[in-house]
Amino acid sequence: MTHSHNDETRREFLETTAATALAGSLVATSSGDEKKPTQGKPGRKKRIAIITTLWAYLRHGQHIGDRFLVGYPREGDWHEPRVEVVSAFVAQKPTASDRQVREKEFGFPQGDLSASRAREFGFELHKTIPDALRCGGRRLAVDGVVLIAEHGEYPSNAKGQKLYPRSEFFSQIVDVFRSDGRSVPVFNDKHLSYSFAQAHEMVAASRELNFPMLAGSSLPVTWRMPEMEIPYGAEIEEAVVICGSSSLDSSGFHALEALQCLVERRKGGETGIRRVQTLSGDDVWNALEHKRWSPDLMARALSRADLVKGVTLVDARTQDLAAPGVLRSIVPEPQAVLFEYRDGLEAALLLLDGAVGNFTAAVRLDRRDQVLSTKFLLPPEPNVAYSACLAHHIEDMIVTGRPGYPVERTLLVSGLLEAAHDSRADGGRRLRTPQLDVTYTAPRASQYCRN
Amino acid sequence: MKRLRIAAVVTEVRRYSHAQHILDRFLFGYSWDGRHHVPDIELVSLYTDQRPDGELSRDRAKMFPQMKIYPTISEALCRGGRRLDIDGVLLIGEHGKYPTNPKGQRLYPRYEFFQQIVEEFRKSGRSVPVFNDKHLSWNWDWAREMVETARELDFPLLAGSSLPVTRRVPQIDMPLGAKVEEAICVAVGGVDGYDIHALEAMQSMVERRRGGETGVEWIEAATGVDAIVKAMKAGSFEKGGWDPALFRACLCRSHRLVPTREGFNHTLPTDRQIEGLMRDPENRNTPVLYRYQHRDGLRMNMLLIEGVVHDFTFAARLTDHPKPLSVQMFLPPREVCNFFNPLTHATEELFHDRRTPYPIERTLLTTGLTAAGVESLYRKGARLKTPHLDIHYRPTRRSTFWSN
Repeated sequence: MTHSHNDETRREFLETTAATALAGSLVATSSGDEKKPTQGKPGRKKRIAIITTLWAYLRHGQHIGDRFLVGYPREGDWHEPRVEVVSAFVAQKPTASDRQVREKEFGFPQGDLSASRAREFGFELHKTIPDALRCGGRRLAVDGVVLIAEHGEYPSNAKGQKLYPRSEFFSQIVDVFRSDGRSVPVFNDKHLSYSFAQAHEMVAASRELNFPMLAGSSLPVTWRMPEMEIPYGAEIEEAVVICGSSSLDSSGFHALEALQCLVERRKGGETGIRRVQTLSGDDVWNALEHKRWSPDLMARALSRADLVKGVTLVDARTQDLAAPGVLRSIVPEPQAVLFEYRDGLEAALLLLDGAVGNFTAAVRLDRRDQVLSTKFLLPPEPNVAYSACLAHHIEDMIVTGRPGYPVERTLLVSGLLEAAHDSRADGGRRLRTPQLDVTYTAPRASQYCRN
Repeated sequence: MKRLRIAAVVTEVRRYSHAQHILDRFLFGYSWDGRHHVPDIELVSLYTDQRPDGELSRDRAKMFPQMKIYPTISEALCRGGRRLDIDGVLLIGEHGKYPTNPKGQRLYPRYEFFQQIVEEFRKSGRSVPVFNDKHLSWNWDWAREMVETARELDFPLLAGSSLPVTRRVPQIDMPLGAKVEEAICVAVGGVDGYDIHALEAMQSMVERRRGGETGVEWIEAATGVDAIVKAMKAGSFEKGGWDPALFRACLCRSHRLVPTREGFNHTLPTDRQIEGLMRDPENRNTPVLYRYQHRDGLRMNMLLIEGVVHDFTFAARLTDHPKPLSVQMFLPPREVCNFFNPLTHATEELFHDRRTPYPIERTLLTTGLTAAGVESLYRKGARLKTPHLDIHYRPTRRSTFWSN
């Protein structure tokens, strides 16, 4: 694998980008930009900038960012990326206390890795986002931007949302696109913003400037156990997603997106969400007794977990987590986000810290009362192979200019997550969400990893 | 129809012993096809050979009074009466304190327990299905005798590892009738414990090849870092190693590759880095290689390199396919070991249908391969002809791994 780029390729690149800008194309992905492949040599790789909060071991910036440097497994082979990291902006370094804790856990230094990566792989670190996008020059000089603003020291608001600067970073990226008269594809890791209003503006900007945008979690694209997809156009009656964490902000996002990538395939397409309510503590058990969500569907989702806690931790015995009283005895702080889509579909996210360690889901189709359920496989640290599935979608979007799935999915889930926090902060009040009238059509082809 | 009632004959029931995993699934149920499934089969009697600290059978018997513990195998099978009084037997002779022979084989009393079981069948003039966990015996002659006895007394005998039936990533099987030239399994563990798992994983794939199973002609084994590094560098099966493309495919199917560079969480290790991991003093695993050739020419490699990987992967080169077929045999986390779900379900099928869901000949062959591999290691890696492994059989048409 070659990571260096000599002056010739840089000059050639500048010429190409200049030509592209002149042609008025907003997306530098037309095949005319690329050298024709000769004798197995790939054409010029797309140049990308990585904009991240932290490039430290096993943080998103590292385990996603590194995929574009060292490659990743794909379909039983080691895939060499079709993109080349040419620049990066890294906002923070790990704090001393963070380093200390993690050094104990991993047994080796846990500082910033971006400088050594830049040296080894021949890209430049820049002090500002515009500089990174322009590679130190005066005009946009990359073919794609990977924005990973997860992890790092940022404040949380009173509702418990961590205020990662995704929207702020994104605005700076868009400012460069505007002033340089050219836009390139952008990937945003996880939700777009803690604020739906900001998230909405981000998507509006990508529409206005007509650049492809992809966002979200690895869960929609990772392996499923068993392999399962919702038949396209199916009528869905109810859906439940379960996650074994108490963090609504972080894990809740992953779970909600996992659910959304299933139900968006329903008949009529996505219509948006009209009501959201977050229950905590005993309210969750009371709601379960009143069947605010289907106990059977919950049981089906629970059955997919293979990281079962509770009495299983005592002597490895198997257990029926859905049997009466079991969850209540092992989950001290349950939370449930109940939401209703504008077409009537009802769904629930159950945060069951203490019961399971997996993300699982179950969906009831109207037809013959059929239930489909699965686990979203998250292979363990350190490889966290799920991020390879995501990296491939990022790369595909930058190379082809076409996102594999609509950013509206992540927009809707960003808004749903904010509303869930609002409801929780409001004592679990059921909130109307007229702002979440996000409509879109899901791709017909399945997008998760199965080869 | 009255519920089937079965007996379990086991070495020990304690946390994480195979008996605990399988018996608990009959008692408490387990997840299957997206539900919590409780077998429609009653576990009514238990013989346990040893009672280590933390043994759980008494605790379970209190929770499930229908399960009685008997002091002998005969009594467990007759439920205290004079004639066989159960509809099936689980024989789980894995874990427990048993001696090891000079070749390093743990002398689990599977054959001895089996003999006592069939003695009861003979006395009662009636036989019922038997499941034997893992390989049939450490001793090839005994294993063959066990299969012959099952034929003679006309009862279905199922055996083997959970690897052939566990989930796969991706969820694929060897296409029935594929032309397979060479295969490899890259796995964890050591001789006489995990070799059988890797051999069974491979056999469950390659038995589906064109012509079906024909048996194995020879085997040679190697152990120690120097020997494995030499084989890795050989570049081909003919030269004493394996096809590097198959090895690479396995590494790419692994979800638990040990990092070779500080600060990098997931890279494809070079041969030199793999050697470094194997020589790392903190890696106390001894690598093991079995190479063997089937009688129809198929070449096989079983490589145990824990400390380089921590999972089971398989790859095969198929005639006229540019890319290897490769897959991970998925082992869920240890706390609950759900790979015992499909294995337990296979035993339920055995008891309900009075028919084995997959052929016993698979495990007879892998039992013979395990013993022969150990023998080759004992003889310092000599290539051993295996005329006794002329085992022919046809696989099931349908896939039998866990996909629901």
